[in-house]
Amino acid sequence: MAKSNSWRQFKAILRKDLVMELRTKEMITSMGLYALLTMVVYQIALAEAGDSFDVRLVMPGLIWVAFIFMSMLGLNRSFVHEKDQGCIDALLLSPVDRPVIFFAKFAGNLLFLMVVELLSLPVFSFLFLQGRVGFGNPVWLIGVVLLGASIGISGVGTLLATMTVNTKGKDVMLAVLFVPIMYPLLRAAVGATFAAVIGGPGTVTTFWLYMAWVAAFDVIMVAIAYALYEFVIGV
Amino acid sequence: MEETPRNDLAVQVRGLTRAFGVRKALNDVSFELPKGAFLSIFGPNGAGKTTLVKVLTTLLNPSKGTASVLGCDVVSEAVELRHRIGLISHNPLLYPDLTAEENLLFFAEMYGLDDPKTRVRELLSDVELDHRRLDVVSTFSRGMLQRLSIARALLHKPDVLFLDEPYSGLDPHAVDILDGLIAQIRGDHTFVMISHDLDKGLELCSHALILANGKVVLFENREDIDVEQFRQTYRATVGTGVA
Repeated sequence: MAKSNSWRQFKAILRKDLVMELRTKEMITSMGLYALLTMVVYQIALAEAGDSFDVRLVMPGLIWVAFIFMSMLGLNRSFVHEKDQGCIDALLLSPVDRPVIFFAKFAGNLLFLMVVELLSLPVFSFLFLQGRVGFGNPVWLIGVVLLGASIGISGVGTLLATMTVNTKGKDVMLAVLFVPIMYPLLRAAVGATFAAVIGGPGTVTTFWLYMAWVAAFDVIMVAIAYALYEFVIGV
Repeated sequence: MEETPRNDLAVQVRGLTRAFGVRKALNDVSFELPKGAFLSIFGPNGAGKTTLVKVLTTLLNPSKGTASVLGCDVVSEAVELRHRIGLISHNPLLYPDLTAEENLLFFAEMYGLDDPKTRVRELLSDVELDHRRLDVVSTFSRGMLQRLSIARALLHKPDVLFLDEPYSGLDPHAVDILDGLIAQIRGDHTFVMISHDLDKGLELCSHALILANGKVVLFENREDIDVEQFRQTYRATVGTGVA
């Protein structure tokens, strides 16, 4: 009898999801288009604000509203492939520990989310920050908050997408569960992004305080998702 | 006291009940199947046939009672058991956006096969799909999907093969290939097949089981079955429909 190996299984599930996404581009296209359209709407909404309005004051909130709703689109898609033609049954029939499925799906969702976020930021800067004052703190801090918040979004999102994939009206169900759970993370991510963008005395300290909040959320939520996954995906 | 599973049995089911809310899809089902047997399960839609196979393949937990396959309890020894069973369903259980080879290699990795590429090539040849190995599965016909599904189920050389209406929608060529593969491995394997085709099911089986409303109506050795009597029982059962 062959012995299954969790690391090999993790890599196989992640590679399979990457190959399928590269072939279909379903998640990245839907999330990317949503992000782009949201920014166009933001630009229209702020068109009358004039040059004196410092868009950096609202930028963190605008970005995270776009990213939260955009991530729901992608997360909804992440389990549709598994439902097609009953693939999830074949996956569950194999001798794979359920947490391995969670971590592989989580890693794939995180990767796709980060790609779209990193592509969206230059577009946002182009649309809103042209000719205006730049970021107050080093740009890499934005990368840190993107990574930290995306871990929480992907962890909770993977769990909820698994739970809701079999439900009627899964799109609505995911949103109803996802947004309230995400509230603390969203608040901290907006705070950290604000501190990174505005700059000035004490903002780096504020940034790291918010990041500690983000990290605590990530650890707690990913641990809860890991613990519940067998129950949620299984029987 | 809990009964120890017997070594000569492939499947041992005791008082198995599976409820979905208040509805019992399986209600106090008990039977034993020796190793090397071929069990055909018949019954009307909603009788609990697929639920029974899902419990035996560890995809659903029983609500009450016990079930073991090859001496492994379907709940407490599920991971070990999954190495030893395969499932061919009327659903192909394949990723439509992957190629035939990618699908099989993926599942070979999940089962931890030592030389996945060789095994995959060998099976693709057995099911006469080696010429389409680099084509994505979404371009396959129903018969080709089912042949690939058979290859997927046999990848890890399971000892017990579960077949959930495997002949459903197959063209005659695909039926011949499936018959050939079953004949080829029949001596070394135990089969549990759900079928709506009485003739085919009785032709293949060594044991037959009729389920209705989640209960066992009949469980007999093939050699003890009077075909005409069996047909009458089956027709009467199908006529009762579901609860």
